[in-house]
Amino acid sequence: MMHRPVLLGGILLAVLGSLCPFLWFILTSFKSQIQVEAIPPTWWPDGSLVFYASALFEHQLLHYVRNSVTVAGGTTVIALVVATPAAYALARLRLPGKTWILGGLLCVAMFPPIVIAGPVWQILERLGGLNTHWGLVLPYVSLTLPLAVWILTTFFHELPVELEEAARIDGCTTWQALYKIMLPLAAPGLFTAAILTFICAWNEFFFALLILTDPERQTLPVGIALFQGEFIMPWGEIAAASVIATLPLIILVLLFQRGIINGLSAGAVKG
Amino acid sequence: MAGLELQHVEKTFGRTRVLHDVSFEVGDGEFIVLLGPSGCGKSTLLRIIAGLEPQTHGSVSFGGQCVDDVPPPDRDIAMVFQHYALYPHLTVRENLAFGLKMRREPKPMIEARIAETAALLEIHDLLDRKPKELSGGQQQRVAMGRAIVRKPKLFLFDEPLSNLDARLRASMRVELKKLHQRLGTTMVYVTHDQSEAMTLGHAIVVMNRGRIQQIGRPEQIYHEPANPFVAGFIGNPPMNLFEGSFRLDQRQLEFLVGDLTFRFPFQAHELIGADTGMATLGVRPEDVKFEPQGSGHVAITGTIDLIENLGNDSIVHIMVKGQSLMARTSFGLRQHAGEPITTYVKNFHLFINENRIPLPSL
Repeated sequence: MMHRPVLLGGILLAVLGSLCPFLWFILTSFKSQIQVEAIPPTWWPDGSLVFYASALFEHQLLHYVRNSVTVAGGTTVIALVVATPAAYALARLRLPGKTWILGGLLCVAMFPPIVIAGPVWQILERLGGLNTHWGLVLPYVSLTLPLAVWILTTFFHELPVELEEAARIDGCTTWQALYKIMLPLAAPGLFTAAILTFICAWNEFFFALLILTDPERQTLPVGIALFQGEFIMPWGEIAAASVIATLPLIILVLLFQRGIINGLSAGAVKG
Repeated sequence: MAGLELQHVEKTFGRTRVLHDVSFEVGDGEFIVLLGPSGCGKSTLLRIIAGLEPQTHGSVSFGGQCVDDVPPPDRDIAMVFQHYALYPHLTVRENLAFGLKMRREPKPMIEARIAETAALLEIHDLLDRKPKELSGGQQQRVAMGRAIVRKPKLFLFDEPLSNLDARLRASMRVELKKLHQRLGTTMVYVTHDQSEAMTLGHAIVVMNRGRIQQIGRPEQIYHEPANPFVAGFIGNPPMNLFEGSFRLDQRQLEFLVGDLTFRFPFQAHELIGADTGMATLGVRPEDVKFEPQGSGHVAITGTIDLIENLGNDSIVHIMVKGQSLMARTSFGLRQHAGEPITTYVKNFHLFINENRIPLPSL
């Protein structure tokens, strides 16, 4: 009990510390140009929406949002469509070298992106995938797959095999047992994998910068980074754009949080 | 025509062989119980019958037709699992309907079957609930209902009562027996509980370490166990088993274990075929009596070590020349622990080389 104030203080410090940059950006986004450049800096914004208007209309932010939605959404869908049967097989089948496959996936996920940047660029050039959205989705899928497979494998692993066998005896093929019984029960896992994949693809900067040089196709992180002019650094617009870029993620997490917490598999097996 | 026939079924996982040459037949409409300790391969055998696990060798036939290449959905069987395996995201009604829907049965027929099953198992109040809102006993009924509703050719039960408390287990056992009498469908039931096996089965297949130890009617398994394993596994408390040696002469059979000698006044040359050797002698605790049994009995005198009072019965632990002998009696004993006592035994079981030697009566 004596440690309680110390614990609370620590938690508060950690939360404030990690939120501080975001708070500063949010505050900055509502300032006016004079406030942004003021020395010493002012804390409280005057509530101006100038930077939002500028980011949205002058810098055509919505156009980047659209590109990001396409790329991150496409990545999420494809990654899950591929990861689900892969994870199911890894969790259920007696595959030789299963642990090696899972270990290999983990290793692949640990490669620094710069290592594969050259080959990826060359492959995409041959395939004609440079400056296309699918050209970006392709490496994104391969980068996010290991994580999605790991998350889903863990989930499928925890679901009782008996349920699947009951479904088989009730007349399901393996595929039917997967999508009629196992997938609804693995929904929390699917949500988690989907959100993490989406966030990963949404925030990715390096490959997006490398592959998309055409402003028409660029995604949010690249778009925002290129706000910067030759002589000026538009802090206000960048802050406003960043807030807009973060909003969809926050909304997504809040929406799916319930889905993740919902213990659908509770009661599947007694004890 | 046999409802179910297994011929020389074997199963290996990697290098481990879990089933050795298993063959038996179940008559149409019979209730057969696979009984054995955990890890004896009985559940694997059930899964092979269901088609959930392929056998390494041998074949399985239903009604005279080989089903080795028939996948589980097409075998027309129903299975009740140990942990019920109800679909947690579906209501009880949807759980019951699932198998019928998968077989594309017409809707009115599905409704009628659900109503019929719900009435039979008295679960109509539960139809719109999810499995997690049910008690263990209710989940058990629904699991049973999901099997019954399909009217399959063969029912498979994998220790379905093991998760229930003792009282519920006893009442479900009775219901299961009634259910079988009413439906008349062939049933295969896996359990490690001998009282379930004894009360439910027309026939019992006793298994140990992947091998069939004995197949027979419950009373046959109890009275004429084929080997020491079956003798020790069936019966509560278990049979007293003494490992020792035997000696034959013209007048009698002697069995020696430590300092203790049993003398049987008959000659058994023809039965045994050797004059001496190793053997196991078995005595059921309920065959150890405290009054003389007419003329033919063997009297054993020892000291009472402990008396366990079970209410209607007592289990008496007796030390006889360094050997422990258990007796079960429903009469009150005048003696107490530490006092000498003489017991009289009429029925013995003798096993030589793992085989039962039928002894002449005393």
